Amino acid sequence: MTNAIVVVDHVTKRFAGHVAVQGLSLQVSRGGLFGLLGPNGAGKTTTIRMLLGIFTPDEGQVSLFGGQGTGRALSQRIGYLPEERGLYPKMRVLDQLAFLGEAKGLSRWDARKRARSWLQRLGIDDWAGRKVSELSKGMQQKVQFAGALQHEPELIILDEPFSGLDPVNSQVMRDIVVEVARAGRTVLFSTHIMEHAEKMCDRIVIISGGRKLVDGTLAEVKREGGKSHVALTFSRNGAAARPILADRSIVASVDDAGASAEVELASDVEAERLLKALVDAQVGLSRFEVVEPSLQSIFIAKVGADARTPTARAEVA
Amino acid sequence: MNKVLAVIRREFIERVRTRAFLIGTLLVPALAGIFGYLPQALAKRQSATQGIVLLDAASGSAGADADSALAGLTFGSGTDVHPRFSVTRLPASGRLAALRDSVVATIGLKDGPESAPEGVIILTDSAIASGQLTYLGSNVTSFRDMNLLDSTLEPIIREARLRSLSADSAVIRAAGVHFRVDATKVTEGKVTGQSGEASFWLAYVVNLLMYMTLLLYGVQVMTAVIEEKSNRVVEVLVSSLSPFQLLLGKVIGVGAVGLVQLAIWGGTGFYLTTALGPRSTPMNEVGGAAPPAFTMPAVSADLIIVVLVSFLLGFFLYSSLYAAIGAMCNSQQEAQQANTPVTMVIALGMISMFALINEPSGTMARVLTFIPLFTPIVLPVRYAIAPLSVAEVSLAALTMVLAILAVVWIAARIYRVGILSYGKKPTLRELARWVRTT
Repeated sequence: MTNAIVVVDHVTKRFAGHVAVQGLSLQVSRGGLFGLLGPNGAGKTTTIRMLLGIFTPDEGQVSLFGGQGTGRALSQRIGYLPEERGLYPKMRVLDQLAFLGEAKGLSRWDARKRARSWLQRLGIDDWAGRKVSELSKGMQQKVQFAGALQHEPELIILDEPFSGLDPVNSQVMRDIVVEVARAGRTVLFSTHIMEHAEKMCDRIVIISGGRKLVDGTLAEVKREGGKSHVALTFSRNGAAARPILADRSIVASVDDAGASAEVELASDVEAERLLKALVDAQVGLSRFEVVEPSLQSIFIAKVGADARTPTARAEVA
Repeated sequence: MNKVLAVIRREFIERVRTRAFLIGTLLVPALAGIFGYLPQALAKRQSATQGIVLLDAASGSAGADADSALAGLTFGSGTDVHPRFSVTRLPASGRLAALRDSVVATIGLKDGPESAPEGVIILTDSAIASGQLTYLGSNVTSFRDMNLLDSTLEPIIREARLRSLSADSAVIRAAGVHFRVDATKVTEGKVTGQSGEASFWLAYVVNLLMYMTLLLYGVQVMTAVIEEKSNRVVEVLVSSLSPFQLLLGKVIGVGAVGLVQLAIWGGTGFYLTTALGPRSTPMNEVGGAAPPAFTMPAVSADLIIVVLVSFLLGFFLYSSLYAAIGAMCNSQQEAQQANTPVTMVIALGMISMFALINEPSGTMARVLTFIPLFTPIVLPVRYAIAPLSVAEVSLAALTMVLAILAVVWIAARIYRVGILSYGKKPTLRELARWVRTT
């Protein structure tokens, strides 16, 4: 990959008592949406902080824009939305945004101009003179979003950008992210909500316990996930299906959502065998479809055991 | 550098805009004025003529002299002049004890008659001989009244004593020449007209000012750090600025606010003392009818500079310590505990003034001047008492600068790790590791 905008090369980061990221390598090519997926405590935030130069890796190298220099030195070309959102509560909205712009190296005048136009774009320009503490949580999120994007960075790094948003605001943010990516800029975002990743990302990396488990384009990842996936929706008597889904001679893994489930068939098992077993058990089915595996089920299958037994970790968030 | 400027500007503007800043800036000079002038104004004020009984059991004219001297005292000015005392002289030879008891019985009664006396002077030959005059009164706690009685009666008693020894009138006059030491401060070979007492007050005020501002603004830096940390603003910021830039901007910003406030306070003091002029004590007023008026101490321009420089250096030193403490803690409550050692050191600096005041150029004073944690308070206090040589001031400033570099280096490293660490407060060993890590 010659036009990699982010190259992480065998990076390890240790904190007192545990290894947060271990020998992680990944590349993000210019343009498009890149998803960094993983369960809580997988090392996503630590990885992102290393990209930004907030943390220095203990081993390995991070290089941005194909060159040298830390994320902080290049921060004018990077937009960042941290997982833990924060603004100065007593500062006025416009001043706050302008300050964030200035911290990115914009001139004072330019920063104020851009801040104003972003507030307009997000529909909260009436609140420009208000104190941040008077804003609703959703509006504060928007302000922070504007703070990450207003200096028109080439690389946008968003840590759990859609967590804590209501569906409407979440959609507004997603539209903006997609629009920004379509304009040729690169968006890297972390999430543990697979639906978002599945809908938006061109390329994903799944990490768990600080190690990379999956890396590739969405299509590649799904292809590798195998063809023997079946999506089920129960119309009645779903309880009778449970012993069959737990039968490891038929089903390798299951993502059971109650009224519906996605199963990965055990190797050399035909879908018809599962269907027959379900029909014999008098399970009512409104859907039985051989599908591409969803990202969710791949995630569960890959991360599975790892996520269910998290090792004790000091909180570094 | 522009980024640091942005941080400085933010800190400065957001602080100066607050109501607390406005109130603090106006309130301190107002309070200083009130505390400086009010007690004197109140002490000078007298509302009524006080009745005094003079029991005269002395031979000769001493009783009559005392009577006329006391009756001659007045208060008020212009057309509104009233006698200070209305004196009732009772010849008391032979019946002194009985008279004394009956007069004393009328003093200080809650529901006594208007004309009840304030006190009684018992004038006897033995009092004249020994110089121990008895006064029984309800107003003995009033320094002003007692000083007045003292200074009015002392020459009369002395004269009577000399006369009883048949002294020549020329001798009596010669013996009446009043003695006092006129202590006046000399600064750099120039007589300032400032009394010793005034120098003390100046040093005291400088001491308090340095203590207050170092503590106030140091703690403000700490609070700001914790706020940023608990708001989680800090993470966005450290993705754009280095923690050192952030710390630098914050310290300079808060320091600038402190400097502006100090300059306003200092300027007010300078104006009050120079423009209104140091009011000099009338020195050769024989007899000293009134206690000497308080002279406003002169605030010289170079003292203001020393104060400002000391504040600036002290602030850099202490605020970086406070910032490191703030970075270590998760809440204000936690920080309140953690900052006690630093606050104690500042308090110690303030308390040391009382050791310095007697010997401002002694060994202890010199040593304290060069201990960087104490320099910012000791240096300006010593300077207020007696100016120091340029060499000594520069050397003290230089040691401060070196100490600041060391402290800032360590504090910045603690700050850098601390601002992104939540949870348990670090142990000393963990702190050491924070400092060591790259």
